[in-house]
Amino acid sequence: MRKTAFGKSFATFVLFPFCVLMAFPFGWMLLTSLREQNTIFNGPIIPRKFTGAAYHEAWTSIEFPLHFWNSVWITSVTVIGVLVFATLSGYAFAKLDFPFRNTLFVLLLTTLMMPSTALIIPLYLELKSFGLLDSQAGLLVLYISGSAPFAMFLMRAFFQTLPDELVEAARVDGGSELTIFRRVILPLTRPGIATVVIFQFLSTWNEFLIANTVLRNTDSLPLQPVLFTLMGQYSTNWPALTAGLTLSVVPVVIVYVRMQRQFVAGMMLGAVKN
Amino acid sequence: MATALSREDVVRRSGERTSYRFGSPLRKSQRVAGYLFVLPTFALFLAFVLWPILYTAYLSLTSWGGFGAPRFVNFDNYSRMLHDPVARRALIVTLVLTGVTTAILTFLGLVTAVLVNVIWPKVGVVVRTILFIPGIVSFVVSAVLWKLIYDPNIGTLNRLLGAIGLDSLQHPWLADHKTVLPAIVVVTVWGGLGFNMLIYSAGLQSIDPNLYEAAAMDGANTVQQFRHITVPSLRIVTGLIVSLGLLNGFKAFDVIFVMTGGGPNHGSEVLGTYLYSLAFGTTSGSIPQLGYASAFSVVTMVLCTLAVIAQLWLTRRADR
Repeated sequence: MRKTAFGKSFATFVLFPFCVLMAFPFGWMLLTSLREQNTIFNGPIIPRKFTGAAYHEAWTSIEFPLHFWNSVWITSVTVIGVLVFATLSGYAFAKLDFPFRNTLFVLLLTTLMMPSTALIIPLYLELKSFGLLDSQAGLLVLYISGSAPFAMFLMRAFFQTLPDELVEAARVDGGSELTIFRRVILPLTRPGIATVVIFQFLSTWNEFLIANTVLRNTDSLPLQPVLFTLMGQYSTNWPALTAGLTLSVVPVVIVYVRMQRQFVAGMMLGAVKN
Repeated sequence: MATALSREDVVRRSGERTSYRFGSPLRKSQRVAGYLFVLPTFALFLAFVLWPILYTAYLSLTSWGGFGAPRFVNFDNYSRMLHDPVARRALIVTLVLTGVTTAILTFLGLVTAVLVNVIWPKVGVVVRTILFIPGIVSFVVSAVLWKLIYDPNIGTLNRLLGAIGLDSLQHPWLADHKTVLPAIVVVTVWGGLGFNMLIYSAGLQSIDPNLYEAAAMDGANTVQQFRHITVPSLRIVTGLIVSLGLLNGFKAFDVIFVMTGGGPNHGSEVLGTYLYSLAFGTTSGSIPQLGYASAFSVVTMVLCTLAVIAQLWLTRRADR
């Protein structure tokens, strides 16, 4: 469509109500979390009085800080772990020459799209036999190994955009491969690293299935499984429930808003390079 | 460290006259470094990706409750699947949900991308953010949120319908066989639209504007330009969006598990939720059916592989 005046007003006319619809669930979430508990059944749709009581309740009664920090901890370790594995192997696949490079790469690639839904049974059994069931360590191993191949794929794409001459020149100067990687290559791949970090942060923070399956001890749970249990326990205490949801979303929205550019670039790269 | 040492050794041993042009010492250090750099990822991949795939394929040929040794039963689990009405329902629901969601998401993604592109950059950022945020919150958050909206008694949807006098349309949305699947489609589309719009936007921006000018000079109107320039230029992007839609549909779990648990009476059961309840039991006391559940894992994996192949095929065709 051309950017005529008519086109613009037509687009605005269609998109505006659509955006209202799309934003509605979040608006409703905020509104409900600020309500008084006794007004959710028969109070007016827009509450007359706002209160932060539900946030206080969610914060204290479900040990929100504990689970929040579990999520922060699990996500941080996963992001760092994935980054180490993915940059090393992504660089090797992009810039180093070694026998069977392509075979190994294709092998990693073919299983890239295997969903955790399909692998949850063997993964559970595997952790069980290693004695890692019900431990955050086990969860971290699964997270890192599940995400490293895809992140490797992203990083490889970034490394490929760097000219080969760069690496060759550094070799001539006599740097070891590890030194070249650390001193020459890594500083140039900041955008790639930022992308992997954001992508990994979001997917780990939001992961539910594996965490809900392999962790049983309530104290070690990250936020997503807790929100799920909360839904059962607080089925009528909507303000506390929506307050919990809102709090869990805050980090994600902050990261998105602050790093929108890398984020969009990352999504694009991840998708289009496929 | 080992790489660094080997490299230095090579230099020291051959002294000043070492020449990289002869290649072999450099080649060797590259080879060592290559394997060392790849090794950690590959080891994890073998242990926690490849092995589970093979193991679940093996388990699907056994009958196993989790204790003792799995009993080999050949393809019994697969033939049992054919006679299990819940399994059939789960497969059909998975395919239908996937097909419908993918079609809607592809269409709406393209339309919103075109519209956002037209008003870009004035309000485009705002619109893009609004459309995108549902896609970055977790499936659990969106499922809980929509469950509150669909709640039969105090749910937002029914309350709003009541408020505008449409009491007759009030409905137990998630408890009715007829409405539960459309309700799930709405949630999935809500969450996935922003991503598709984003990718289509990128695709649109990469189309040469001269094409439109040339077409306009030849007298093509907006609709014709859309059909003969925009749509064909986006073929690769569309292939990608369709195959990602298929993948997401085949592996669907979180939203349905949280919102309906596969209910009412298996009405929204998909492969993921069914295999999960077979293996990890939603009803306490039942023996896990790990062999039978694994057969559904295998079916899911086959479907996902087909989706990937479909994308490769679509991309290749678009290249020609």
